[in-house]
Amino acid sequence: MRTTLSVVAKTEITHALRERSSHLLVGIFSAMVVVSAAIGFQTHRTVTRIHESLVQHGLTVAANPFADVSPLYYARNSVIYVVMIGSLMAIVLGVESTLRDRRAGVVSLILSRPSAFTHVLRGKLMGIGLVLAAVLLLSMALSWTMLSAIVGSPLGLEETLRLGVFGMLSWVLLLGFAGVGMMFGTRSRHESTAYVAPFVAWSVIAFVLPQMGTAARPISLLNPVPTPAGGGSLASWLSYIVHPLSVTEQFKTVSGFLLQEPYVSGDVAGGVASVVVFALLMTVLSTRSRRKTITEELDA
Amino acid sequence: MRKSLVIARKELRDLSRDPVILALLGFLATASLLSLAVASNDMKIQIAEYNSYVSQLAMSGVTNPPPVVEFFPLQLMRGGVEYLEILGALFALLSGYGVIAKEKSRGTLDLILTRPLGAAAYASGKIIGLSVFWCVIVIALNLATVIELMVIGGAQLDALDVTKIALAAVFSWINLMIWATVGVAMTSYFGRPQTALVLSIALWLMIVLIIPQIGDTMDPDNQVPGGLFAALSIVKADELQVLAQFATYDTIRNGLEVSSVSKLFERITFALLGIKDKYNLQSIALIWADMWGYACALSSVLAVTISLSLSAHIRNTSPRRK
Repeated sequence: MRTTLSVVAKTEITHALRERSSHLLVGIFSAMVVVSAAIGFQTHRTVTRIHESLVQHGLTVAANPFADVSPLYYARNSVIYVVMIGSLMAIVLGVESTLRDRRAGVVSLILSRPSAFTHVLRGKLMGIGLVLAAVLLLSMALSWTMLSAIVGSPLGLEETLRLGVFGMLSWVLLLGFAGVGMMFGTRSRHESTAYVAPFVAWSVIAFVLPQMGTAARPISLLNPVPTPAGGGSLASWLSYIVHPLSVTEQFKTVSGFLLQEPYVSGDVAGGVASVVVFALLMTVLSTRSRRKTITEELDA
Repeated sequence: MRKSLVIARKELRDLSRDPVILALLGFLATASLLSLAVASNDMKIQIAEYNSYVSQLAMSGVTNPPPVVEFFPLQLMRGGVEYLEILGALFALLSGYGVIAKEKSRGTLDLILTRPLGAAAYASGKIIGLSVFWCVIVIALNLATVIELMVIGGAQLDALDVTKIALAAVFSWINLMIWATVGVAMTSYFGRPQTALVLSIALWLMIVLIIPQIGDTMDPDNQVPGGLFAALSIVKADELQVLAQFATYDTIRNGLEVSSVSKLFERITFALLGIKDKYNLQSIALIWADMWGYACALSSVLAVTISLSLSAHIRNTSPRRK
């Protein structure tokens, strides 16, 4: 079993390194994580200047709400890039890994070997997990360097640990989305459905579920600050049901806490539990497949 | 032209029978109508809370109540517009991908081109089919929205409201057609449909989500829940005076936003539906005076994407290339 896992994982890594579409998404993701620090810094500098101007004109005596923000505050947009680009990158890796074998018609050949297909799928997930870990490690290292350059000194131990834990939580979330991709890749009879269905699942998790519980606008859900539950009994009732399922909002809450976002509120332990349960569920489901479906010929 | 219409009719039939497209549209309609129901409920709660607050003030002897919470029914359509902007664009892209990918993967393209049918007529037939399909979808979605506004939202719409909704629907169609033709162009251009799909989705991600998101988070007023200037109790006139000193920053931010077709669509529809307070209850002439530039830009982008999809398809099917 160990041999199967490591051989399949190694093959998966090789494929991920060769595929240009994966390169593009990985490139966009890493670039945006780095750019987010620059955007955060520039925005913060402008807001501080605006506040100084308001004080000079005698329009306010209130203290600058962002006077003593943590350096990690500048990386707040990274949370959104993990939810948007990272999740789609993970889905594409998951779908591609399973469709590749089905497209090439080698599933029957693999099944003729003395190893369970479940082990092959676990190996694939392990390979994708390693690729995602490498991408996140690179992104967090770039982010750390960028933030250190902005503040003019290396980030302290606490900030570095917080950034590291944020990277780990991002990995858990992305592994869950890779599982969603693999699940549809093994179960869909049509190649187009295998790609389209997980994207729709992602859009339900990222936009529809949070809106039901918060009455928030879909676009406001792209803001790094998590949206609080809406008022009224219906909204509270809906929020009670859908909030634990709104994995991306839960991820935003925990990430906001880790990156010391000043306006974050919510249940951090519940948020971590929600993300972990989602990832566990998706990894289990992605490694279980009906032999009949996966050996069927794949339609366009 | 007659040959194009035959292809268009066939595409329409295929699209209306495609279970994936139908499921996606069902999902889009459900999400839009649900967002309207949630917004209506939220509005009713706000009005009830206001009435309760006013009655408490009256009981405690306060004679001047706070400003009335006003109900503007078209503003309830905001969630639906944003779903069309994000998910509608994605589904339109997938529909454009589907009409070309099916011919490529089934190998029927070569067979069709053995008939006396030019590549241009074939490609234009597909685009006409897509445009009629999305036109029907936009009309159906807007009709359902109007009915829901009246039944669940309790709105009374006048002729001006209906005209504004119809104009917003026209721009929704333009936006959706931009993405459908991007899907056609990308799938025609790339040999492997799956590569085209992943690259198209990366493009959608950049234009629909990332660029507007950067613009939004760079907005100084978006840094604090409820708005920075509101939190500091700064009136609008003072806010504008201070922001005038940061014109370069705002020009860059605004330039970034308007480089996204989604933001152009959003600004036009938000103005028409009065979601942007400045345009609420204003005449169409006044809104048009501010929005015609965005409308022209959006229409020009559609003209470009149609041209690209036609040329990519003709190039892809030319015997010399084969």
